[in-house]
Amino acid sequence: MKRIKIIALALIAAILASSCASKSSKENTVSISGAFAIYPLVVKWAEEYKKEHPTVRFNISGGGAGKGMADALAGAVDLGMFSREITQVEKDQGVWWVGLTVDAVVPTISSKNPFLDSLKKRGLTRSEFKAIFIDKTIVTWNQLLGGANNDEISVYTRSDACGAAGTWALYLGGKQENLNGIGIFGDPGLSETVGKDPLGIAYNNTIFAYNLKTGRKLEGIEIIPIDINENGKIDLEENFYDSFNSILQAIGSGVYPAPPARELYFVANGKPQKEAVLNFIEWTLTKGQGYVKAAGYVPIDQSKIDSYLAKLKVQ
Amino acid sequence: MLYRRKVIDRVSTIWMIVSISIIVLLPVIIGIGLYIKASPLLEIKSLGQLLGSTIWLPNEKEFGFLPFILGSLYVTLISFCLAVPVCLLSAIYLTQFAPKQFMNFMHPVIDILAGLPSVIYGVWGVIVIVPFISNHVAPFFGVKSSGYTILAGGIVLAIMCIPYILNMLIEVFNTIPTGLKEASLSLGATFWEMVKHVVIRRGGAGIISAFGLGIAKAFGETMAVMMVVGNMVQIKFSLFDAGYPLPALIANNYGEMLSIPMYDSALMFAALLLFVIILLINLIFRYFIYKTKSNE
Repeated sequence: MKRIKIIALALIAAILASSCASKSSKENTVSISGAFAIYPLVVKWAEEYKKEHPTVRFNISGGGAGKGMADALAGAVDLGMFSREITQVEKDQGVWWVGLTVDAVVPTISSKNPFLDSLKKRGLTRSEFKAIFIDKTIVTWNQLLGGANNDEISVYTRSDACGAAGTWALYLGGKQENLNGIGIFGDPGLSETVGKDPLGIAYNNTIFAYNLKTGRKLEGIEIIPIDINENGKIDLEENFYDSFNSILQAIGSGVYPAPPARELYFVANGKPQKEAVLNFIEWTLTKGQGYVKAAGYVPIDQSKIDSYLAKLKVQ
Repeated sequence: MLYRRKVIDRVSTIWMIVSISIIVLLPVIIGIGLYIKASPLLEIKSLGQLLGSTIWLPNEKEFGFLPFILGSLYVTLISFCLAVPVCLLSAIYLTQFAPKQFMNFMHPVIDILAGLPSVIYGVWGVIVIVPFISNHVAPFFGVKSSGYTILAGGIVLAIMCIPYILNMLIEVFNTIPTGLKEASLSLGATFWEMVKHVVIRRGGAGIISAFGLGIAKAFGETMAVMMVVGNMVQIKFSLFDAGYPLPALIANNYGEMLSIPMYDSALMFAALLLFVIILLINLIFRYFIYKTKSNE
């Protein structure tokens, strides 16, 4: 009996001690949640930042852009990762943001798609994507490509509130709720699903359509080239999907339209107060930009970086 | 000394009353909280509009909950149809026919199944059930399907509920006195007749309540169903079409809550609906239990 009492007391003491310790380290913890699109880069940044500032701790989780915004506005995290345009409603709620980098959403199909070759030659225009994803006026592949085969297009979309869907819908002139199709949870799930279905069509963040290590498209995934000038075929300058580098170049130079290219943000409920958070944001906009290209993203313009840095300095 | 004992007695009674009142008040507090949060939506739309409309476009202030309610009911119904016979028959076999060692072996198996996190069932559903439906089941019926269907949701849900229902049924059947069973056997009943007329009859109320709790659990299950059910806002009553249950609506769109006006009230209203429906399910099953008990 006595021994149990001693153990219990020791436990209580340990809990108290740890809670005291966590109070001081709380100031040094940066908690982040949100968009899958920028998650890998933020993890990379956190790793590098920790090498320089070993006392800072990070707590990073995914969950989609919507979760990032909701968590940040509710004060559950210090920073939300966000990957679509910030709406007026969100600005009215006092959201504070800085842009970090640029990436894009690309239309994806399975590499087993029977019409792959003609699709790659022809591409699809914005209005054709709209007809498939929003208006439902194109429902079979032969409406696009001709032929007698009556195969239906199986359209997939994201079920969770996310930046990829928001950006893709914005490109097609709608909101996420206007996108039709079977809803799959999460970006990895969506690329997995569309890769398996030869008649499927979906959209993914670039980092979930390409293999970062090899620079090639993920196994099983192909990208539908966008017919930007709408002349019915994919011209040489519209054909930049072969490697990750070439599509990043097209996004950076503005050949790939925006949207579906978009800026990625950190958002917070008003300007962050914590010293550690502010230092980390400043680092990502200066030194951190050096890791952007290697991680598979397109850097933002220097003029924009300067304006965001100025935003950090404002009291 | 006596005084001290009386004080301790009084204090411990108070503690018990406090804890029981927390439990009694909890559903009431949750219900009121949800209602308060959902009331802005009820001010701009009537209840009939919300429950009867099938259009879901929150950005245009169109909140129709009918597809979600029906989706939930449909997935739950399918899972119920799949789980009930399996549970009932295996519970009867385990308690009445199987050797004791087999029962000892099955207990940990059921506990493991019950303890698995729902996301594991979801992933398993995506990897196994969804392709199985799209490659084998749907072609067998001459339908083309991606596999992300109401049927997939129902199957995954049924598998998740089976350990719960089974555990409760085993408890119910174990409480039936051996004397009753022996009496019927000694009158010349076969083993199956004994099960039919004594075990099931006597355990009736318990069986119903086991199923009731199973349904309530199935109705509210979120993660696993959301991963396989397809999440499409539509009203179609084919097994091979996608559906969109209420809990999935809340979980998927929690992130947009602060980005679209009225959306937080709409999601709270969805939660309130879920709460009320589960309350109704429980009341209905309570009534059945009461009926079977008074018939005995």
